Amino acid sequence: MFYLQLRNELWKLFGKKRTYIGFLMFLLAQNVIALVFRFSSASGGMVRTLEGNGYLAQEYVSGLTIATVMLFPIAYILLPLYVSLVGGDLVAKEAEDGTLRMILSRPVSRFRLLLLKWVAGAIFSFALVMTLGLFGLGFASIWFPWKGLFVLIPGEVFSVFDVWSGLKHYAAAHWMMAPKAVSVMTLAFMFSCFNVKPAAATILALSFVFVNFIMMNIPYFRDLQHWFLTYHLNVWQFMFAQPVPWWKIGESLSILAGFNLTFLAIGVTAFQVRDIKS
Amino acid sequence: MIELRNVTKYFGRRVAVDDLTLGVPKGQIFGLLGHNGAGKSTAIGMMLGQVWPTRGEVVICGHDVTRRRQDALLRVGAIFETPVFYDYLSGWRNLEILSHYTAPTSPERIREVIDWVGLTGRERSKVRTYSHGMRARLALAQALLPQPELLILDEPGDGLDPEGIHEMRQTIRRLHLELGLTILLSSHLLSEVEQLCTRIAVLNQGRKVFEGLLAEAKQAQDWVRLRVDDFGRAVKALRSEKLVVDERDGQLVALAPGVGTDQVVRRLVEQGTAVYEVAREEQTLEDFYLELMRKDAVVETLKR
Repeated sequence: MFYLQLRNELWKLFGKKRTYIGFLMFLLAQNVIALVFRFSSASGGMVRTLEGNGYLAQEYVSGLTIATVMLFPIAYILLPLYVSLVGGDLVAKEAEDGTLRMILSRPVSRFRLLLLKWVAGAIFSFALVMTLGLFGLGFASIWFPWKGLFVLIPGEVFSVFDVWSGLKHYAAAHWMMAPKAVSVMTLAFMFSCFNVKPAAATILALSFVFVNFIMMNIPYFRDLQHWFLTYHLNVWQFMFAQPVPWWKIGESLSILAGFNLTFLAIGVTAFQVRDIKS
Repeated sequence: MIELRNVTKYFGRRVAVDDLTLGVPKGQIFGLLGHNGAGKSTAIGMMLGQVWPTRGEVVICGHDVTRRRQDALLRVGAIFETPVFYDYLSGWRNLEILSHYTAPTSPERIREVIDWVGLTGRERSKVRTYSHGMRARLALAQALLPQPELLILDEPGDGLDPEGIHEMRQTIRRLHLELGLTILLSSHLLSEVEQLCTRIAVLNQGRKVFEGLLAEAKQAQDWVRLRVDDFGRAVKALRSEKLVVDERDGQLVALAPGVGTDQVVRRLVEQGTAVYEVAREEQTLEDFYLELMRKDAVVETLKR
């Protein structure tokens, strides 16, 4: 029964054209970034950094490196946008369209309905992150050779890997990015459970993420950055560190799980007590 | 099948339903009447567990909706004023999605219901290509899928053309006769209710102002059309003899209980009034409804 209902939620979600906006924009953005790196001097800085540290740049300016470089702006800006767009739609759009009233004339509990919708949203978020990784690697590999991986996150990570080790870290970073996508989706989903328009739920979630990000980067709050959601959302980038700080990743994943449970509890409570009217 | 006991619902400080007590017995077509904003949809929302009552108890099919919603709605189908679906999916897929919220539904059952509502051949088309009438049939199909005992129809005729309304009326009759369903029909279309329902309740500003058989409503007062040379003088004389209790529209009088038209005519002739016509007037539901609203408005004014 749960499987059937989940399948229905997925039909609803993946039957809508707007669900694919994220996939389409990733495809476009990754192609543009790959072409800019291929046909301009954008990789010059990377070459100088590598050679300045005694590495042969030509061994690391690769499809894997470019795919990782393009990952950062997309993961910071586009990914939260598209998962919150879908998360914000999940309940609020059905309430706005009137289909929620049709569903709630059925003997399904509100909690179960929300759980189904959240699982569907989580599946979408996971699929979006995996697509992001596969598209990025695919497009970058068209224009750049299949060689080692170089990752630089100023002040945090400076790593070089051979091709297979790099691929493992690249894949692991995407696995760790899935909790980020799910968390932002859950945040938008929480707002969606209130009596608001879908766009309002999306905007509220994005505002929450961006305000967190801005505050976290204000020097005054440096010592408090562990308290910000965005600090833990970016745990995936530590998968490129050498060695991988597993304790830090474990801590962030636990905190993200706590955030998700809190968002869900607030959303479920708000949805449970509200009146569903036409 | 439906019991509302002293149900009140506030939205903020505004009372939408005020101390409503209502009973819909099994096997009836029950009409819930009232103007827009009278509280009909809120009452239906409370029956379906979509709106939480501020006070009172709502029992559907023997189960309290606020405590045991799933049990209460197991054999209930509902249709709302504007049938809304997932337009980008087919009619069949919509039925699958909605029916699975109740229980797993076999393709054979879906096929059977599609045939019953007359959508065969169009079930695989996207709902966005459906006409309003076809959407209404699809709404009926989704309501019938869980093999309901009780059907709640909230303004089902809204937006339908006269042919569509006629079809909907025939369908409701079929549902009642062929499937033996108990039906709650909420509407502000008095003619629909008059043609379909056996029992009605009238809501005004969230309060129930009438509940009873339709026949009772139509005979709530014994009106007689009286065409005479001086209606005012005639009414005055009849009132002084306590033969009539009310008058309206400059031509209708309500006879006192037990008074016959022969007594009225005799009295008028005795006082020298020329009588041109005396005929019993059957009250329409519209007359009854308007009268009820007028009286309620007077009561409200006096309360203030």
